[in-house]
Order: sequence, then C-alpha cells, then structure tokens
Amino acid sequence: MQAETHPTPTLLARLLIDLPVTLAAWAYYIFAFLLFFAPFYAGAFFCPRRRQAFQRLNHLYCRGLFALLGMIVPRQSRQIDARLTSTKGAVILCNHLSYLDPLLLMAAMPFCTTVVKARFFLIPIFGWVLRSAGYLPSSSEGRFARLMLRQMEGLQDYLTAGGNLFIFPEGTRSRNGRPGPLQHSALKLARLTKAPIVVFRIDNTNVLFPPGRFLFNAGQANTIRITAVGCIQPQDPLYQAPLSQLEEAIHALLKGEIPPTSKSICSYQSSPSAT
Amino acid sequence: MTREELQERIIAILVQDFEFKNPAPNDHLRDVHGFDSIDAIELLAKIEKMLGFALTREEKEQAMAIRTINDILDYIETMQRKRGLVKP
Repeated sequence: MQAETHPTPTLLARLLIDLPVTLAAWAYYIFAFLLFFAPFYAGAFFCPRRRQAFQRLNHLYCRGLFALLGMIVPRQSRQIDARLTSTKGAVILCNHLSYLDPLLLMAAMPFCTTVVKARFFLIPIFGWVLRSAGYLPSSSEGRFARLMLRQMEGLQDYLTAGGNLFIFPEGTRSRNGRPGPLQHSALKLARLTKAPIVVFRIDNTNVLFPPGRFLFNAGQANTIRITAVGCIQPQDPLYQAPLSQLEEAIHALLKGEIPPTSKSICSYQSSPSAT
Repeated sequence: MTREELQERIIAILVQDFEFKNPAPNDHLRDVHGFDSIDAIELLAKIEKMLGFALTREEKEQAMAIRTINDILDYIETMQRKRGLVKP
C-alpha cells in the first residue's frame, strides 16, 4: 500500500501563497489595532481593573489573528488541549518554537500574564500595552528595576484570583524544534509565586512561522498542537527540590519523556485526548 | 545585631534557600552564584521578615543594584539606620 503524500508546492507557488498570508497577518496586526482595538485600549486604561481589561483585549486581538489565519490558511489546523483553557491560577511552562507561541497562548486564555523581553517595553504604544497588561520585563537592570518590582507586586494575588502566568523557560525560540536548556530564573519565578506549575508542550507553530523567516509557511499542511504533559503542585517535594532536579523533570516533560521523579508529577500522559 | 551576626544569617539564608556553595563576602553574586533579579526579590522578602519591617518600593529598587554579600550587609544597615534601629 502506498503512503499518502502531500505535494510540496514549488518555490513560486509557495511565494504566491506565503506572501499574501504574511501581508494579511501583518495588516491585521497593525490595522486591527489602529482602527478597531485602539479606542478600547484607551478606554481600558481608565478601567479600575486595568490589568485584566488589557489582558482581555489582548486575548480578543490574538483570537482575531488566529481566526484570520484559520480562514486564509486552510491547510493549517489547531488542536488546543482543553486543559489549557480550564487551567486557573497556575504558572504555565511551555517550550518555545515560534513568535506565534505567546499569541496562541493569549488567544486561548483571557486572563494571563507573561515575561516579555525588556527591550519591547521601550517601544512606544506596544510598551504601554505590555506595561498596562501587567507583563513582566525579562530584566531588572537599570530602569527596568522599578517596573519589575511594580509588576511583581500583586502577582500572587492575581494568580490566586484565577489568572495564569505563562513562561517559556528556554528564554528563546528553539532553532531545531527540540527543547533547549531551561533558564533557572524562569523556574525560580515559577516557584516564587507558590502556584502550581503546569507544563504544556507546543508543536508545529514553527512550521507555520519558522524562526528567522519573514514569510509564513502557509502552503504546507500542518497541525499546531498544545498538549498538557504534567503538573507539579506546590506541596510536591519536587517543587522545592534543587533547581537542577526541577529543570530535569520539566525538560523531560517538554521532550515528551517520563521524568525520573515522575512519582510527584501529576501525569497527563494517559488522560483522555483533548479537543 | 552586629555586622558579623548579620553576615552569618545572610550566608545561612543564601546557602539554605538559594543553593549557594561556599559564599564569600566579596563574591559577585550573579557571576559566581547565578543570583538574579528573581532571587533579589525573594531575598528582600526574607530580609523584611528578618528585620520585622516592610521596605518601600524605592528601597527595594535600590536593592536591585546589590552585587556582593557586603553590599547586602551595607544595604540592611542603611535600612536599619533610616528607621533608627541602629546607631549611625
């Protein structure tokens, strides 16, 4: 029996598909903000729960992007684990493959905060949105010290109230698709919150939008997946174990392996498949 | 609390809670022990508990520039002096 094969588009055909999709995505990114969302963001600034209002708007903005991609890139599909949307008050750790990853997570969760490269906070308007949404800068050097302290204040209360903090502990996108070494500062931040750590594995966002490439890879059949792979509760011994042990366990989960300390990890491996 | 006693307590915290190995008073905390801003925030919470008073955001901001254990001790002494808890 012959295996089913998908024809690979030629270079010209790829360009004819990828370029319009890329331009449409960028057009949405810029014009949806300027023409539609900007007044709502301005209004949210005066909201008593400003952080949550900005996060809700970011959620809708990102959902719009993926709705658009769903329409104009028909060979792409998404399988998002239902446990991502039902997770509340947790630190979510994921592998990082593409710039689409944070947008995908924000599209899935209405209330979430994250750690963002510090230099992005300096970009006009974009930096204001990041600050107002309560996102944390990745550095606390110099002028970011005050911002880091301000955003950290109330983080625990925010998580207790059901918000999530998602972090990419690798600190950067993987260039080969496999999870790289994890940064200890990300794990320390996760533990500092005293919230459960839930690990999700992201697959194939790098197929649609590969690192180092300007154009989307829209012609290729692809399924983007987010799958829950494990969780570590604050009362588990692993939660307070030396960082190297915690790193080893989370790294194994992200690679799809069973960690050596699996006894204290809630296993999601055998759970029913999610939608 | 004398500076020596303070140093002993801080070193005990760093070893027990921050996985430091053989810390010396002039070690560069980040370069030698991987101490980062998240550690600094956690340490500040422990210092507040140890001293029995809350630090303001501005005071915490000053602490983000700390580089060595001696800097931590200087910082704590300054905070205590500000509140009149030790003689200048």
